[in-house]
Amino acid sequence: MLSSLIPLQLPSRMQTHLWYILPNEVNNKSLLKHYTQLLSQHEKDSISGMQSDELNKKNALLARTLVRTTLARYHTNNNDNTVVDPRALKFKKNLYGKPEVDWEVDDTTTNHPKLQFNISHTDSLIACGVTLNAPVGIDVEDKTRKMRHDVLSLAKRFYSSEEVKFLSSVEDTESQRKEFIKLWTLKEAYVKALGKGFSASPFNTFSIIRSDAETYNLCDQAGEWKFRLLELAASSHYAAICIEGEDGQEAMNVIVHKTIPFVEDELISI
Amino acid sequence: MASLSTNSLSFRAPSIQSSRFSQVLRKPSSFQAISFGSFQSLKSLRLQISCAAKPETVQKVSDIVKEQLALSADTALTAESKFSALGADSLDTVEIVMALEEKFNISVEETDAQNITTIQEAADLIEDLVQKKPAA
Repeated sequence: MLSSLIPLQLPSRMQTHLWYILPNEVNNKSLLKHYTQLLSQHEKDSISGMQSDELNKKNALLARTLVRTTLARYHTNNNDNTVVDPRALKFKKNLYGKPEVDWEVDDTTTNHPKLQFNISHTDSLIACGVTLNAPVGIDVEDKTRKMRHDVLSLAKRFYSSEEVKFLSSVEDTESQRKEFIKLWTLKEAYVKALGKGFSASPFNTFSIIRSDAETYNLCDQAGEWKFRLLELAASSHYAAICIEGEDGQEAMNVIVHKTIPFVEDELISI
Repeated sequence: MASLSTNSLSFRAPSIQSSRFSQVLRKPSSFQAISFGSFQSLKSLRLQISCAAKPETVQKVSDIVKEQLALSADTALTAESKFSALGADSLDTVEIVMALEEKFNISVEETDAQNITTIQEAADLIEDLVQKKPAA
């Protein structure tokens, strides 16, 4: 018997909640069937229409499940404080194709704070970042991912000149590859947080620079974009988070949980 | 049979899928012989022809996609195959774009690079860019 979804406290301002699933840990057929029942018809059709292997389809299912169950947990029914039905969530896309929750304005039976979210997945990790009122973008990447092209060639083709300069200064090839991937996730997270599509901010039009061991910033930025780069799942993955802060705000605070919806949550210290 | 005027192409035959016709469109030399007001109409014309990009182009794009995504050689890809549905993420997409640039000796605009989502779109863009190059 599956437990019901446990309600969650909302993120505070300048805080990102990061939830992730490791697909390798979710194999129980009846659990997966339960997840399928949470999806909209459109989502189900989209998954069955994928020209891809069963693993990719399972990951697509887990991604939708993660989004629906996580967002649902921040919303309770006014009468009994139970979590709303994940099936009840509706989604739409903004002008540029970024997914967002479609709130039903007249619904007074639930509380619906203006949560924002963004998801990212690799074959081996699916993540969902949630904020309150702050545009958010996340990107995750397998730390061991190898590119088919030479890293510096890719950077020269797609990154900014400052970033190419930085990567060129990294002497060890393996470290260079890692720095490329870290930058990739940070740049992706920024563009996804902006929510205007990749054409609006081609990668070579902005630079992300590391100021010290843990702090990344946008060069010459308009607005207050905050970045965090984390390592998840026994350091197997990089996860970059970008949110839009307010002037003078301090750094972003992140709370990370590994989860298996309806089964367990594990708070991860970072 | 098609007739050509300054700004548009008009057809009598409803079906425009004959390969002979599409070969006429592809040869750069025939463009020089005919003056068009703009290439706008050509582009919208091409999108109406379902097999506009040469089969060889679609095949080459498919091969590059298969290699980048490490798909088995016998994976059935169609022109409508979406990269994302094949398991490609955005980093795969830029690597595919770079491989296409190398293979076809073209340069893809930043705004186009991340907008390519299917094999057909990639093939169409490639042929568009190849045509715009000076005749080799």
